Amino acid sequence: MATVFLMGCYSNNCPVDNLVTCNYGFYDSEGTAITYNDTITVTTLKPGFKTVYTYRKWGNTTVTKERPDEELVNQGYTETISQQRNDTILVNQLFGASSMKVPMSYFNKMDTLIFSYKRITLKDTIKITHTSYPNVELPECGTHRFHTLEQVTATDAAIDHVEIGHSKVNYDGQTNIKIFFNGIVE
Amino acid sequence: MKELSGLKHIIISATLFLAALLSVQAQQQQEPVMPGEKPKPTKYVAVEEQKQHLVFFQGFTLSVDGYGPVAMMISDYGTFEGALRLNLKNTFFPIFEAGVGRCSKEDFNTKVTYETSAPFGRIGIDFNMLKDKFQSNRLYLGARYGFSKFKYDIAGPAQSDPIWGGSIPFSMKDINCTSHWAELIFGVEVTIFKNFHMGWAVRYKRELASTKNDYAKPNCIPGYGYTTNTTCWGGTYSLIFDLNWGMKKSHKRGVNIEIRDIVPANAINNEMQNNNPEENNGD
Repeated sequence: MATVFLMGCYSNNCPVDNLVTCNYGFYDSEGTAITYNDTITVTTLKPGFKTVYTYRKWGNTTVTKERPDEELVNQGYTETISQQRNDTILVNQLFGASSMKVPMSYFNKMDTLIFSYKRITLKDTIKITHTSYPNVELPECGTHRFHTLEQVTATDAAIDHVEIGHSKVNYDGQTNIKIFFNGIVE
Repeated sequence: MKELSGLKHIIISATLFLAALLSVQAQQQQEPVMPGEKPKPTKYVAVEEQKQHLVFFQGFTLSVDGYGPVAMMISDYGTFEGALRLNLKNTFFPIFEAGVGRCSKEDFNTKVTYETSAPFGRIGIDFNMLKDKFQSNRLYLGARYGFSKFKYDIAGPAQSDPIWGGSIPFSMKDINCTSHWAELIFGVEVTIFKNFHMGWAVRYKRELASTKNDYAKPNCIPGYGYTTNTTCWGGTYSLIFDLNWGMKKSHKRGVNIEIRDIVPANAINNEMQNNNPEENNGD
């Protein structure tokens, strides 16, 4: 009975938000924090290719799947098999945000992120060089992967420049990378 | 002439009245004495001289903890420890504690394991709070400063990257760490048999500092306990033996009793008068 009572009072000190992500803050070209009024989609380049199954039928929307679908073929869809880059969307259609969180690779030396915008056709590429190391706060909290930022570079389609804010990427929530977009907020 | 005789009468009356008053007071002070009985001589006892005198150095005590080994058997963490303690006037007890702490645990949910085994030391003082310092039972408050220099191992399931892929085993060995902490102690001690005593103590501990490491934080410090919070509770059940090193036999267990009656000065004079004057001269 006492054990049950004590267990009821047990609480661990694990972080509430224990997802390790790199935090990006948005600023204008002069360093004022802004809310970016464009839709941003962030894709990362991954090595290798994947097989994609595309199903088309006249008068219907095209369906893309990573596994074959016999049912669509039986419904009259035409199946096309192709090889595509193994890229992944990390942030999908972010709008009106002043910051964002993006995961980092555990074992790669460099992460390459493609920034796509809705208002402009050009894309930006941000390259982040970093090291990663394991971390255990408490055994009951599990293991995490922390990162140390070394260098960040960016193209200039919509971005003026980038800076490292806080090089230690953990679950403290500090802004790690500052993105300075073109233009000045009045 | 009439005036002079009147004044004489008044003076004589006053003198007789005062004499009568003084004689009544003297009778009240003396104990009633029966006819044929000699009055008892007054015994002068100096109260301060009757007090028991505590010897400053009361010896050493050696103690071993019985709780730590039991905790080691039934839980993830335990200690083997002993202590050497000085007894100063049965009031202050400077103490040095040393031991070995061991922790070996695996979290049920995350499967992360933590292991360490290392010596530790504590130094501090206990204060006997009982008003009667002569009795061998004690109720005390104490404070300690503790430290341990140790290495620990952490291992767990392989880390897999959910987005970019890849996996790597997770195991870190021999991470160096030095920890410092402070303790507040409340305890009791009772005599079981002659020089053998037993006692328990509750310890409130606060971690002061530990070596920081990028990879991990020590989950358990030998001699301190778990670091889940910045403070923790602990306890000891001590088996205590008195070591009477460097003590006189009459001072064992701390009390040297000196009770003396002081002989009144007139009795000394009488004795000197009764003694042979030649012997006195010879001295």
